[in-house]
Amino acid sequence: MSPLLQGVLTILIGVGGCVGYFYASNLILDKVIFPPTKTDPGRNINRANIVRPWLFLFPALFALGLYLVYPVIGSFWRSLYNRAGDEFIGFGNYTTMFGDAGFQTALFNNFLWVLVVPAASTFFGLLVAQLTDRLSWGNIAKSLIFMPMAISFVGASLIWKFVYANNADIGLINAIRDLFGASEPLDVLQLRFWNNFFLMFILVWIQTGFAMVILSAALRGIPEETVEAAIIDGANPFQIFFKIKVPQIMGTIVVVWTTITILVLKVFDIVYTMTGGNFGTEILPSYMMSYMFRDDGRATAVAFVIMIIVLPVMIWNIRQARAEMR
Amino acid sequence: MKRRYFAGAAALALVAGMAQADGHQPFAVGEGDFNWDSYNAFAEKYDLSGQTITITGPWTGLDNDNVTQVLSYFESATGATVNYSGSDSFEQDIVISARAGSAPNVAVFPQPGLAADLASQGLLTPLPEGTGDWVQSNYAAGQSWVDLGTYPGQDGTEDLYGFFYKVDVKSLVWYSPEAFDEAGYDIPETMEELKALTDQIVEEGGTPWCIGLGSGAATGWPATDWVEDMMLRTQSPEDYDAWVSNEMKFDDPKVVAAIEEYGYFARNNDYVDGGASAVANTDFRDSPTGLFDIPPKCYMHRQASFIPTFFPEDAEFDFFYFPAYEGKDLGKPVLGAGTLWAITNPSDGANALMEYLQTPIAHETWMALSGFLTPHSGVNTDLYANATNKALGDVLLNATTFRFDGSDLMPGEIGAGAFWTGMVDYTTGKDAAEVAKGIQDRWDTIQ
Amino acid sequence: MDNIAGTKSSLSWAVNISVVLLVLIWLIPTIGLLVSSFRDRDQISASGWWLSPFAVEQNFQVRASADDAVERDGVFVIEGNVFEDGEGEVLRFGGARSNPTASGAGERAELTRDRTLQLEANGDYVYTSPAEITRDPSIYFSTATPPEFSTENYQTIMASDNMDRAFINTLTVTIPATIIPILIAAFAAYALAWMDFRGRGFLIAMVVGLLVVPLQLALVPLLQLHNQVGIGQSFLGIWLAHTGFGLPLAIYLLRNYMVGLPRDIIESAKVDGATDFQVFTKIVLPLSFPALASFAIFQFLWTWNDLLVAKVFLPSNSESWVMTVKIADDLLGSRGGDWGILAAAAFISIAVPLVVFFTMQRYLVRGLLAGSVK
Repeated sequence: MSPLLQGVLTILIGVGGCVGYFYASNLILDKVIFPPTKTDPGRNINRANIVRPWLFLFPALFALGLYLVYPVIGSFWRSLYNRAGDEFIGFGNYTTMFGDAGFQTALFNNFLWVLVVPAASTFFGLLVAQLTDRLSWGNIAKSLIFMPMAISFVGASLIWKFVYANNADIGLINAIRDLFGASEPLDVLQLRFWNNFFLMFILVWIQTGFAMVILSAALRGIPEETVEAAIIDGANPFQIFFKIKVPQIMGTIVVVWTTITILVLKVFDIVYTMTGGNFGTEILPSYMMSYMFRDDGRATAVAFVIMIIVLPVMIWNIRQARAEMR
Repeated sequence: MKRRYFAGAAALALVAGMAQADGHQPFAVGEGDFNWDSYNAFAEKYDLSGQTITITGPWTGLDNDNVTQVLSYFESATGATVNYSGSDSFEQDIVISARAGSAPNVAVFPQPGLAADLASQGLLTPLPEGTGDWVQSNYAAGQSWVDLGTYPGQDGTEDLYGFFYKVDVKSLVWYSPEAFDEAGYDIPETMEELKALTDQIVEEGGTPWCIGLGSGAATGWPATDWVEDMMLRTQSPEDYDAWVSNEMKFDDPKVVAAIEEYGYFARNNDYVDGGASAVANTDFRDSPTGLFDIPPKCYMHRQASFIPTFFPEDAEFDFFYFPAYEGKDLGKPVLGAGTLWAITNPSDGANALMEYLQTPIAHETWMALSGFLTPHSGVNTDLYANATNKALGDVLLNATTFRFDGSDLMPGEIGAGAFWTGMVDYTTGKDAAEVAKGIQDRWDTIQ
Repeated sequence: MDNIAGTKSSLSWAVNISVVLLVLIWLIPTIGLLVSSFRDRDQISASGWWLSPFAVEQNFQVRASADDAVERDGVFVIEGNVFEDGEGEVLRFGGARSNPTASGAGERAELTRDRTLQLEANGDYVYTSPAEITRDPSIYFSTATPPEFSTENYQTIMASDNMDRAFINTLTVTIPATIIPILIAAFAAYALAWMDFRGRGFLIAMVVGLLVVPLQLALVPLLQLHNQVGIGQSFLGIWLAHTGFGLPLAIYLLRNYMVGLPRDIIESAKVDGATDFQVFTKIVLPLSFPALASFAIFQFLWTWNDLLVAKVFLPSNSESWVMTVKIADDLLGSRGGDWGILAAAAFISIAVPLVVFFTMQRYLVRGLLAGSVK
């Protein structure tokens, strides 16, 4: 069967199955298990309403449990076993891993990514949001800066590989260097340490649009009076921006920041296509890839380290969500 | 307008294979000096209509076209459908898919080490009985090819798992005879002369070498060939064997010295096109085109016998043996390699394919395309696409020492992992001893 | 007053210029690759794409045929024209590969061994040698080739490189993986937004927490699980995986949106005797359309652009490669230096998301805001 046909069939079965499940389960609940009795109709309706939420939730909870909760536990468990998976070695994988120079580089680089990318994306996003706020062609500008959001990491990597190309007739960077009289082309992807920033910029390029859209909405939401009051008090535009506007949207800035942080820890495509982790640009997700299915113990241990890095963000997110619900 | 056009008729036979992609048969059945009898006999024996045989391997691009064309004869003989897919991350993908139970019928391993890994996990199927005997009696130096394909399985019993089809000679330096002629350079006979020629080219304002290590997820492997060649030219074959089996540690001074011998060429900005920094990031398939640029970007390129596949279509090229030191009494060592075909998902079709690979016609069709050498003694060597390939055979014959590519024999994690990335690190400036130590450390963790 | 107006206008100039600059930085890389996707390999390596509207100077080699040599006054001479069709303009020429542009057109160049070569601007050449000419001598020259744009790269990549197959595979992965989670998530989101039950707070917190779980954790255990239940690497497997990974965001987005729906509509419907199921299908679902659309766009972009999940959950053969894998694992290597082809492949893979992006941008923005701004 051709995959396309299989896809269409899956959509039909999937959608039909879901609708059928919800419809039938509700029907059974109301008509078969707890039919409204003549003597006390309210009692059974109430009982049905206690069960109903779980009918609505069941497919989602099942999928979440299977595809996200179980793997967290399963990965942790697997990481305590040796490479073949037949011998329990406690934290052996973790100790050998932390002694490995490659892992240390990857961990260090990952911290760089986590620090730089969210900061830079938020900064650029805020900058564009503020600058385009009162601009007649602001929406077009925003649309264009937002565009990379639609481009895959692989596509974006290709686009930038072309810019970074080690040849003044192909790569823009080297063409500009050439213009200023550099004699030899330079491969920026091989500049130790700095090459990380050239890779990070690709992600910044993609994520700035995201930050911009949200921050721009937040800026619009600032009450006019506060800004007007500041103008009357003689504040200059910079003071208005930093002293009046930024503090008022601090909450949104933090949300943007954490969202991008989470994303950074998932991205492996850029490093994979640009350098393959060579030249000291390895990050944890790509480091994990080189072990995956060869030494699953080590690979899952790396994944768990990534999990630990995002844990503070996760806890913060949950506390935010709970605070909102009160 | 074409980049270069020739008034004279100098097109090489090799072009014939490239012009026709998409599995069209480049040679009509029954025509030419091919062993069509073996084809017809095979066609009579098997009818596999309706069966599909999936194959994955490391070849992409032109090699992919070639193998597809060669296998099209198997398809037309048996009626089966063959799907070949090549991937740059073959080494990773095959492990994942074999574990997942979605392995192809047949996998083409560039490294025996990786095949041995999978065999020991019970993910390969032993080849049909009698294959070993056939290889022994029909391949030159047959026993060595059998040994290289025999590994212990999951239960520890040794079986023949891999069949060598497509062999490469690695100790070769490619050049443009025209460029050498115009510049008045002679073919160096010894390593001392090669180094002198390298300096001479620099003095005359040229760049002697093109080196490129880029290969997607496999980036770095061309450097491992250099190091192995240098190992054979500075140490005894016994030391080489000890190194490959890790009896001699990777950070042994002898190995470090061989790495530095490679660095003598690759880490000298004057010696390589684009400077040392370009080496690590240039794709190995693009790197040799510099030989044929006008003006030439470089004059020499050390690479295995398959590389002409990636030369520009109209290029005129030749090769010489990557020479040994006159001062060291190590003879004329030759480094080689080969791809190993193994059954990852048994089926009748897969067995038939393995048998087809034993027929002369399977070898002759690829010989007539490009980039193919074979130890099969029953083929018509006149069918080689050009004189170059024939001459390659002589390199093998003149060898006083023949050794298989060491990195291919090392465990997958070293030979298809740490060794590669280590060489990239070394090429871009890391200390040789430090790199070697890192590789040895990784080796220690898997023992 | 004038003074203030002056600073204002100069400030507005500064703002305009900096926005133009930023937009340019953001746009130029993409334009560069787009332009290059219409140029051929030789033009790309001969001049930068920013010079693509201008003619390019390229070096060529032509071999004069030794058979055409005639003896004249004791000197062997070959005459001819380097241009096949007789048209063109030679800029410079030379007799050695190492210096192909040694002499200007029309000059007479002295070569080694007392040979000479003269090449006119119109391509006519005269090659002389005192000794008999045995091998075809080469003539090197430079000429300007006009800029050339074509869709050849796109044709090559679609026709011969299986990119069409990869395109269809991407589509096959994307559509079910977008639609199925929406439905599952919508019901769950409704329950979390409008139904009262114990443990609701905990479940919402859990969804928020799961938003953050790194994908990498799931790969090893899930593929093993798929192997055990017999799914293995397959389209079914990747649909399930994408569904699972997309759910937290879907539930979170939809719940945030549904909570904001006016309470009285839902309450009054319930007073009229509508069941939760009816309230959901008749009232909440239609009203939530913007949020559903925005999640759909997200999930679509995410699955279309994904590389990691496809590498692990789909079989690695050209039959089932999606475009990202095709580019990363095949084209980047086998077409490494062929920027034109790579660029064309990239744009084929980018085209659909870009169209979706520009037509549905409104929903995307709305969804983003629902997801993160209170």
